Amino acid sequence: MLSLTVETKSWMHRWPVETKLLLVCLFSLLMVPVNDWRLALFGLIAVALLYASAGWAFAKIGLVRLRPLSYLVALLFLYFVLTARLEEGLLVSFKLFATIGFANLVTMTSRLDDLMAVVEWLAKPLRFFGLPPRALSFAMGLVVRFTPLFLQKSELLHQAWRARSPKKSSARLLVPLALNVLDDADHVAEALRARGGIGSHKGAQPTNKNKS
Amino acid sequence: MPELSKDSPADANKGKAQGAGITITRLSHRLDETPIFSNLSVTLTERRIGLIGRNGSGKSTLARLICGLLEPSEGEILTHGADLFKDRKTAMETIGLIFQNPDHQIIFPTVEEEIAFGLENIIGNKKDARRRAKQFLEKFGRADWAERGTYSLSQGQRHLVCLMAVLAMEPKVIILDEPFAGLDWPTTKRLYRWLDALDQQLLMVTHDIEHLESYDRILWLEKGRIVGDGRPEAILPLYRKAMEALVDRDELVLDEQDIARQLAETGAHQPDGEV
Amino acid sequence: MERQVAYIALFAALIAALGFVPPIPTPIGVPITAQTLGVMLAGTILGSKRGALASLLIVVIALAGLPVLSGGRGGLGVLFGPTAGFLVGWPLASYVTGLIVEKSRAGNLFLVSSLAAIIGCVIVLYACGVVGLKVNANVDMMHGLKGSLIYVPGDIVKAIVAGFVTQQIAKARPGILLSRTSS
Repeated sequence: MLSLTVETKSWMHRWPVETKLLLVCLFSLLMVPVNDWRLALFGLIAVALLYASAGWAFAKIGLVRLRPLSYLVALLFLYFVLTARLEEGLLVSFKLFATIGFANLVTMTSRLDDLMAVVEWLAKPLRFFGLPPRALSFAMGLVVRFTPLFLQKSELLHQAWRARSPKKSSARLLVPLALNVLDDADHVAEALRARGGIGSHKGAQPTNKNKS
Repeated sequence: MPELSKDSPADANKGKAQGAGITITRLSHRLDETPIFSNLSVTLTERRIGLIGRNGSGKSTLARLICGLLEPSEGEILTHGADLFKDRKTAMETIGLIFQNPDHQIIFPTVEEEIAFGLENIIGNKKDARRRAKQFLEKFGRADWAERGTYSLSQGQRHLVCLMAVLAMEPKVIILDEPFAGLDWPTTKRLYRWLDALDQQLLMVTHDIEHLESYDRILWLEKGRIVGDGRPEAILPLYRKAMEALVDRDELVLDEQDIARQLAETGAHQPDGEV
Repeated sequence: MERQVAYIALFAALIAALGFVPPIPTPIGVPITAQTLGVMLAGTILGSKRGALASLLIVVIALAGLPVLSGGRGGLGVLFGPTAGFLVGWPLASYVTGLIVEKSRAGNLFLVSSLAAIIGCVIVLYACGVVGLKVNANVDMMHGLKGSLIYVPGDIVKAIVAGFVTQQIAKARPGILLSRTSS
C-alpha cells in the first residue's frame, strides 16, 4: 500500500517531522482567533505559496488531494449563506483550506516511518499500562500487510457470490470475511509467538521495516 | 473424510463434446493497466481440458473471464452461444466455478443453505430451492449434512460442499481453479474420482499435472500467451522439461519453434494465440 | 499478548479494507458504505477495549498518511476538516458499542448488537461529529445535528446489518466473540 508521501523532494522534505508537526499545531492555533476573512485569505495564500515553492507538479498533487474537500466546503458555504452569515462563510472556507492544506503539507513531505516514530514516542507512557515497546510497529506492519490481503479475500468472496447470483454483492459476505479475519489473527498470533513474541523482554527483536 | 455414496453419477460417454463449448475470439485484457492477453483466440469443445502454466501466467484471470465474472477489455467470449458477462442469468445455468480455498467461497452457515443459494437464484423460490437442495444431498448420499454447520466441517468436507453447491445448479461447464491444493492425497484422489465421473465439460486449472494425463486437451499458458496446445502426451512432457529447467535457471527458456515443431510431429493443435 | 496485538491489528486492517469495498445493497434499497460497518463490528466482536484500540489504530494510521479511509483518503489534513469528528469518534464509538455487548451477557445477540451499534456508532459517533463540525467549521450544533439526521436511517440499517453479521459469526464459531467471553 502506497503512502501519501510525495516522492519528488522539496526543501520541506528535509525538515524534521517533529518541527513540521509543531508548526501545524502553531498554525492552527494561530488561526483560531482569526475573525476577519481577509486575514484567513492571507493565511491561505501563504500556504499556497508554500505549495508552489515545491514546484508545479507538487502543487498539482496538493490540489487533487483537496478536491473532495471542495464539495464539503461548498455545502458549508451554502449553509452560511442560508443562515445569512456570508462573511463567516468566507472566513470558515478560507480557514479550512488553509489549515487542511498546511497539515497535508506535512503528510506530503514526510516519510510514513518518521511519522509513526513520532506516534511511538507519544505512546511511550503507555508502557506503564503494559504496552510492549515493539507492539505498535508490529501492529502497524500487520495492518499494512493484511489490508490488501483482506481486500483480496473480499473480492474472491464476491466472485463466489456473483458466480451463483445475479446480484453484485450482499452484506452476508461480511460473515465469511470476518471469520477469515479472526482465523488469520489466530495464525498470526501463533507466528508471532514462534518468532519469540513481542513481550517486553529485552533481546534481539525481529526488525519489521515496512516501506510504504 | 468424505465417503463416496453408492450411487455416484454414472460414467458417461467419454470425449463427447457438450454443445457448442467455449469460443474465445480475439480476447485482449488488461488487469489494472497491465496487459495480460493479447488477441487470444481459441475454441474449447473437448470434454476434459487442462489449463497449465506458472503462477502469473493468466490462468485464473482467463477462468474468471470465461465464467463471465470479469468483462474482457476487448474481444468476445461465448459459452454455449451466450455472453456470460452480460447474461448473468444464463451464466448461472451454464457455468460453475470452484476455486482454491473453501474459506473464500462458502457463504452460508449450513450446508443446505449453501447449496440452496444458487438454486434459489435459478428457480426463484426459496422453498423449492431448499427442497431441491435436500434432494440433491440425498442423491449424493449426504442427507445428514443438510443441517450441519459449514464451519464445523473438515477441509476435505468443505471442498466437497463447494463442489456440491456448483453441481446442484447443473451447469454445462465447470471451471476448477486449483481446487484441491493443500488437501491430503487420499481426499484429493476421492474428489478427483467424483469429478471424473461427471457429464459436464470440465476445465481444470492445476499444477497437479499427473491427473491431467487422462484429459483430452491441454492448454499451456505463459505470460498470457498460449505456448502449448494439444494432447497431454504431447504437451505435458514439454511442460515438465521446461519446469525442471527452471529449477536451475531464473528465466523460462521456451524454444517455441522447437515446441511448435514437436507439436506438428505429434499432430497436435498449433498454438493459435499470437501477440 | 500476541493474540491481542494480532486481533487488534487485523481488525484495523479489516476496517481499512472495507474502505475499498463498494457500497453494499440492502433489502431496504439504500446501499450502505462498508467502512463504518467495520467500526461497529470491531466493537461487537472484539469488545470495548480491543475494539476501541483497533479503531484507534486505523485512525492513527490514516492520519499518519496511509490512504485507508473510504475513497482513498488520509493524511493529517483530515484532522482539521469538517468531518474530523466523525473520524476521531471511531474509537469511542467502538468502545461504547463493545461495552453494551459485553455488559448484556444474556439476551438475543442480534438485538443486543444492533442496539449497541446504534447507540455507539450512531448516537455517540454523531455527537462527536457534530462537535467536530462546531470546532472545525463553526457550524451551530443544532444545525449540525439537523443536517446529520438524513444519514441516520441509512446508519440504522447498517447497525442492523452489523447485528445480523455478529449473530451469524457467533453461531458459526461459538466462543469466538471476544466481547462475550470472559477475558
